[in-house]
Amino acid sequence: MIGDFGLMMSAVGGQGLVLLSNIIGTAGAAAGIRVITGEQHGLSQRHGSIQVHLRIGRDVRSPLIPVGMADALMSLEALEALRYIEYLKDGGVAIINTRVIHPVTETGEIVKDKGRKYMSLEDVEGRFRNLTLHILKLNALELAERAGNALTENIAMLGAVSVLEMFPVPPGDLEDAIRRLVPKKALDANIRAFKLGAVAARDNFCKDLACRPAPG
Amino acid sequence: MKRFAQKIIFDKSGVAVRNWSLQEGSKMSAEDVMSGGPGKAFMLCNEAIVRGALEADVKLYAAYPGSPTTEILDTFVEVGKAMDVRVEVSTNEKVALETAAGAAMAGLRSMTSMKSVGMNVAADSFFSLGYTGVKGGMVIVMADDPYAHSSQSEQDGRFFGQASYIPMLEPSDPQEAKEMVKHGFSISEKFGVPVLIRTVTRVNHQSGIVELEELKRTPFKKVPWPHEPTRFITVADRARAFKKQMLERTRLLGEEFEMSALNRIDLSGGSRKAEGTGLITSSAGYNYAVEACRMLDLSVPILKLGTTFPLPVRLISDFIRPLKRVVIVEELAPYLERNVMAFAKEVNPTIQIVGKGSGHFSEALEYNTSIVATAMARALGLKTPVDFQAILERAAKLKDGLPPRPPTFCPGCPHRGTIYALRKALKGVKHVQPTDIGCYSMAPLEPLKYGDSLLSMGASLGVAEGMQHCVEEPVVAMIGDSTFLHAGIPGLINAIHQKANFKLVILDNAVTAMTGQQHNPASPHEDGDGGQQRIVLEDLLKGLGVKDTTIIDPYDIKNTPGIIKEALSRPGLGVIISRRDCALFGDRNKRRQGIPIVPNRIDKATCKRIYACIGDFFCPAISLDADRQAHISADICDGCMKCAKLCPISAIQSTQKTGGGKA
Repeated sequence: MIGDFGLMMSAVGGQGLVLLSNIIGTAGAAAGIRVITGEQHGLSQRHGSIQVHLRIGRDVRSPLIPVGMADALMSLEALEALRYIEYLKDGGVAIINTRVIHPVTETGEIVKDKGRKYMSLEDVEGRFRNLTLHILKLNALELAERAGNALTENIAMLGAVSVLEMFPVPPGDLEDAIRRLVPKKALDANIRAFKLGAVAARDNFCKDLACRPAPG
Repeated sequence: MKRFAQKIIFDKSGVAVRNWSLQEGSKMSAEDVMSGGPGKAFMLCNEAIVRGALEADVKLYAAYPGSPTTEILDTFVEVGKAMDVRVEVSTNEKVALETAAGAAMAGLRSMTSMKSVGMNVAADSFFSLGYTGVKGGMVIVMADDPYAHSSQSEQDGRFFGQASYIPMLEPSDPQEAKEMVKHGFSISEKFGVPVLIRTVTRVNHQSGIVELEELKRTPFKKVPWPHEPTRFITVADRARAFKKQMLERTRLLGEEFEMSALNRIDLSGGSRKAEGTGLITSSAGYNYAVEACRMLDLSVPILKLGTTFPLPVRLISDFIRPLKRVVIVEELAPYLERNVMAFAKEVNPTIQIVGKGSGHFSEALEYNTSIVATAMARALGLKTPVDFQAILERAAKLKDGLPPRPPTFCPGCPHRGTIYALRKALKGVKHVQPTDIGCYSMAPLEPLKYGDSLLSMGASLGVAEGMQHCVEEPVVAMIGDSTFLHAGIPGLINAIHQKANFKLVILDNAVTAMTGQQHNPASPHEDGDGGQQRIVLEDLLKGLGVKDTTIIDPYDIKNTPGIIKEALSRPGLGVIISRRDCALFGDRNKRRQGIPIVPNRIDKATCKRIYACIGDFFCPAISLDADRQAHISADICDGCMKCAKLCPISAIQSTQKTGGGKA
């Protein structure tokens, strides 16, 4: 009804979320697909929670996705996925990095209270099950390390998003945009991470969700 | 590989990608901003604003960074030399505005940008510029921050336009922002007055696809001064004469805006007629209003205002004349609403005005499509297709127990060391701590909860002076280097002159850290464009007459509490400079020089769960492992060694020493 596709993205400040939004937007521009984003810049980048609203469609005007209307939610950190759960529509797709970065305030509480435990990936997944069965957990750090650069975690996650049939930006354009926007010396690792993310998503995901045909 | 990997986590972040001012090499977005055109590019609105200024052949830009306008400055710093624009990172917004005014008085096109509260600083000269006007085109971008994402208030700057008689334009998206900047220069020159472009965070920090027109730059060239005595002098008789001219100018601008294409009436695309209903909106509100109509499947006329001072009175009056009901969608104050109310008194006194006065909309926080759709549905007796309230309530339940993640000091941040040492030195001593604007503004929040007052840039000095006369406890004020130079110096001069008795801690981290490590007058200036002179803080303090200055290193966390304690025990006004590079800035310099950043690790056999490295310290790199022992995440640790110095049993070591990688 409102826009063709909404992707809610979240992370801990410093994980490279704005780069992802630039890659998707640049790829959209090349493919003639209208992308707009609502980004967060400023003091919250210091290990705080950050989010980017990404919307695709001819008629979208607001850079913010209305609550309950994101087709997919992609988070570079597990707790930050849960923080924005209100945006994901029922039955939507949640793509969650398995990494948990503990907030300092939580560590402070746990030091004080021996009985308390950190919130875990399993806790987060359990909460998401109230909304959807389409949950893809991805150990993006492991994929990034396999790609040859631990910093390509964000690109591995993008690779996973790229296999979704509902995601309108063609993978080829995404790859071109990666080539344009990542530092030259890290380019090969980024491309490998993108492909590894896509393969991991296909292996876990495409049985019960429409995916783009695998290349080649 | 690991070593390379651990730190650059920041390098790939939005911070670094956007942070061209101190980056080596040119980034893609900057290339788009400078591209010859015509063409299309995916751009942040702040980049589109720069592109618009370049297409208008702007010659000088000066600004002080402040979210949500910072990327305008960063982009100008990046492209300035190549585009032959004189670009200055100014001491504060007032100086920036005056620098741009100097250029525009001479006849060159100039621009400045500032956040909402920056206008408060610039306002003194801003109001006078409304009187004197300018010769060359001058555009002032002022960005309000509904929701106070990164500001101390949600102040509504539209009243600055109205109060100063300076024309004001409001874009809704990057494309419009680019066009309005260009158009702003033309209006400015046609009417001899600066033009205010008022944005909000959700416009500045929106990215979208922008049409680039052809870029035709002309070389920077000095011009002869026009030599018209009193042309830019506003006082007494001259001020009274200017006031008359200003009123006439505003009348003519009003006429111009009646016909302006920046104001338009759209018909929302839905199928459900709402007879007699129309919408008036501007800025980000327009985006939400259009989508709310679509969500409710409504077909109503929407008057979208791009010129919000002077308002097009006839256009608005004609629009509301046949209506039974008008919905006003604007964030923050009822600026449009009050004006529409006044026009309605003449042309349609019985019209129902749905807005803040009617209780449908709030003056607080930012809007979004669901807020606007819910309010409109209530006013029109409709239902939203989705029960947004139910979604939010369910989400709140699902988030039960989710720990908050407030922004915090980075790993390696010198402020963490300074604040730790300060609190240790003052342990058991009740004191009052006025603080200021910068990264250290986070100290009063969870988990440190340290700080007693926070008003505005430089306010800690004046507040401290007043407090020390009136409170029993000692007063210890805190301010960063950039904020001190921005607006703290007059307060310090006053304190010295008044023989005040308080202590001031200047957190000198070499850059304006919070907005992205831009250089400031106290920075090592090889990081600017190289041509500036560095202001040395201790020389400045000496010149002002400060007799007691102590310099500490916040990384020397064992010894600093003692030094601070001693400094605090001395009578009279004393200044402590805590000096160490901002960690993000320092790491960037290290990388440039090929110096590795080596993380620490905790020896599990030694760690006795004392938590000295956690309590009152709160580094994001340190958490507890499954055995409840402290654990350092190698990919987050900055290797600053502060925590190692805190551990009484030396369980923390550098991985360089122990030779290990991740613990």
